Amino acid sequence: MSNMLPNEQVKKIYSMNGIEIYNIRATKFKTNTINIFFHDSLSRENAAKNALLPAVLRRGSEAYPTFGDIALYMESLYGAAFDCGVAKKGERQIIQFYMDFVSDSYAGEGQRLFEKAFEFLEGLITKPALQNGVFNGEYVRQEKENLKRLIESRVNDKMQYGVERCLEEMCREEPFGIYEYGSVSDLDSIDGKTLYEHYISFLKSLPVSIYITGDMDAEYIKKVTSKFTAIQRQNVKTIDPPVISVDSREQKNITEKMDVNQGKLSLGFRTNICASSPDYHSLMVYNGILGGGLHSKLFQNVREKAGLAYYAFSRLEKFKGLMVISSGIEISNRDKAEEIILKQLEEVKKGNVSEYEYKSSIKSLETAVKSLGDSQLGIVDFYLGQSVAGTNDTFDTMLEKIRNVSIQNAIAVSQNIVPDTVYFLTSNN
Amino acid sequence: MDIKTIEYKNINELIYMYTHQSGLKAFVIPKKGYSKKHATFATHYGSINNEFVIPGDSTASQVPDGIAHFLEHKLFEQKDGSVMDKFSALGSSPNAYTGFSQTVYLFSCTDKFDENFGLLLDFVQNPYITEESVEKEKGIIGQEIRMYEDDANWRAFFNLLKAFYSNNPVRIDIAGTIDSISKIDRETLYKCYNTFYHPSNMIILVVGDVEPQDVFRQIESGMVNKGEKREIKRIFPEEAGALNEAYTEQTLAVSMPLFQMGFKDNTNNIRGYDCLKREVAVKLLLEMIMGKSSKLYDELYGEGLINNTFEFDYTIEENYAFSMMGGESADPAAVKDKISQAIASMNKAGLDRDSFERIRRAMKGRFIKQLNSVERISHSFISVYFKGVYLFDYLDVYDKISFEYVNEVFKEHFDLGNMALSVIRPSSSK
Repeated sequence: MSNMLPNEQVKKIYSMNGIEIYNIRATKFKTNTINIFFHDSLSRENAAKNALLPAVLRRGSEAYPTFGDIALYMESLYGAAFDCGVAKKGERQIIQFYMDFVSDSYAGEGQRLFEKAFEFLEGLITKPALQNGVFNGEYVRQEKENLKRLIESRVNDKMQYGVERCLEEMCREEPFGIYEYGSVSDLDSIDGKTLYEHYISFLKSLPVSIYITGDMDAEYIKKVTSKFTAIQRQNVKTIDPPVISVDSREQKNITEKMDVNQGKLSLGFRTNICASSPDYHSLMVYNGILGGGLHSKLFQNVREKAGLAYYAFSRLEKFKGLMVISSGIEISNRDKAEEIILKQLEEVKKGNVSEYEYKSSIKSLETAVKSLGDSQLGIVDFYLGQSVAGTNDTFDTMLEKIRNVSIQNAIAVSQNIVPDTVYFLTSNN
Repeated sequence: MDIKTIEYKNINELIYMYTHQSGLKAFVIPKKGYSKKHATFATHYGSINNEFVIPGDSTASQVPDGIAHFLEHKLFEQKDGSVMDKFSALGSSPNAYTGFSQTVYLFSCTDKFDENFGLLLDFVQNPYITEESVEKEKGIIGQEIRMYEDDANWRAFFNLLKAFYSNNPVRIDIAGTIDSISKIDRETLYKCYNTFYHPSNMIILVVGDVEPQDVFRQIESGMVNKGEKREIKRIFPEEAGALNEAYTEQTLAVSMPLFQMGFKDNTNNIRGYDCLKREVAVKLLLEMIMGKSSKLYDELYGEGLINNTFEFDYTIEENYAFSMMGGESADPAAVKDKISQAIASMNKAGLDRDSFERIRRAMKGRFIKQLNSVERISHSFISVYFKGVYLFDYLDVYDKISFEYVNEVFKEHFDLGNMALSVIRPSSSK
């Protein structure tokens, strides 16, 4: 085959009417994958509908009208996996349709699983099972109920819940504060008809990016995807980038009570730096020093020295420029833990960063970036992230930028970090 | 150096193996083109080994619950500080986990494999435990235990094990309790270490783009001889075939009830290939009974009794085996009834040969897919190895397993008298 890419690099092979198709050549895997992403701006109006839509679509298409039919088909494609869902990247809500399947060489003579898989996804997205010209009312009712429960079940994972609630409270007045699955109250008014109307504009106007991993030729991919790219498109939506900086304000303190044994302390910060900022790679190293691994100040001081916690870390939301610190602690140790955490931020600000902390941060970021290439989802997520952020890095250029960050660069970033919200999940007593 | 290989041509995989004179077995599975190199050093010792006879002793030793996991934490501490720091300086991430019957130390790196590997060999072989560091660790592990106390899925799982077993130590939390770990001291930690960390009870596995000869050479020089292999007598209490209890319930801060249920499987001392065979058979049956392509799944989902979180699995080890199915449900008891009914009617109607064939092929495909990930290979290889077989032997099982055998296992395993249900209910005030 001609025009082959180096391994694990992305190539745009089609772009028209807001549909982009990318191919990532990856020869070392035993499987191929297809990812179709629809992008929308996060909004109260559409979040719940966008979350409900894939849940209803996955119930059945014209060709495979029930769950059972779909599952049977997946089994017949040598255990192919199909799933869909929603995610949030910055203030963008991303609706994902996904399939993976073994490479043809493991499926037996003459199998063309990529064609079958793409045809299936295309049918599922563009030719849903309908009833009187709109979505099946029973499917919509059931999936509304499931989505409602999913939204309510956020409390079940206390660590993640604490982090997400902290970020939400920070961004209460901004689109970022909207949960990617919407809210229970937004679901009430949706029925088969209103969801179908939403679906029509979803299909016509949302930007779509498709990532195909596998050892395939661009012309072949274009041919297989031609029905999808022929969807009628109109007024393709422009997605605005998120607002990164806000006016300074009082720090918020939120306490939530639940029947829990362990307290979860989360501290949210504005970094005023996002993935497309020139300082972004310095911020990555800063975060590494502060709380990005076993070498970090948070892990060393909150866990190893004080023995207060099993975990203590900091994490970036690179699209919106946020940072959150999280730790699970004995409830009575809250003040002590907060004090030690804040002290670590101060230490970095004062420039008290050791050569060891700095070098370990660079090295662990390098390992993380290189490791992404060992998973097809990792590679796809990396390039999707580049496209959402409007940046153009490959693994290699990303590595180079990280290596070029000096210890002074990382310390300098401290000046941009503004505390915003402290959230504590505690017990009823 | 005597290096053996086994080739699995149809899936393009190769295992290199070597036995060190200390008795340690070492394996390399090369993965060309991968950046990550993943190395594990594992001992056949886990949370269930809380009673044993130390080689040379005449009486049995009983140790506090959670000690294998505690020891796992403490091994990272070295005379000159935590070995984590040395891994960190190389940019790699060391980790470890303790299971019911194994403790596994590992790292993955993309650079300087030899140095990382040297650290792994060194710290696992050289414990440095002080009274003071044992006391500090009680605080950290105490918070790990607290975290699991609030984890509803984990609780549902362990409550189910408690319902299955009256005495088998698999019913005890891997990390123990705040009370049991308070009894752990330096001396007992060393006792466990000296008993179970003998090279003949351990294996090393490296998966990634490495030269097998180089890895084995490093093992040859880096492994310390700890004398003759001596048999460790592991003591397990008698366990009756019947359930401890058929139903168990707990309240926690969750939004809706969630459950785990399953069948206690009274298979004693199955090892090796037979273990894999039984595992594949039960998993195949679970798919046939309640997998996404089954009528039962459609019904349960359509009636709103289960959602996307519904999953099932089967575990088999030398001293215990059970199937599990669970997720969130507004009415776990109704799910249990439906599953019982479906099994009863399948019993009458007989299994469908076409579904068996289709699912067998799909499961083989899914198995091949797992081989994309160096972590997945490492993790599965180790647990399968301690059962006495190799990971890639699954392929042979998928190819050869017969409809007749699966029918037999169906009649044995899905005995409604051995079915227990564990439910977590929302506490009234969230």
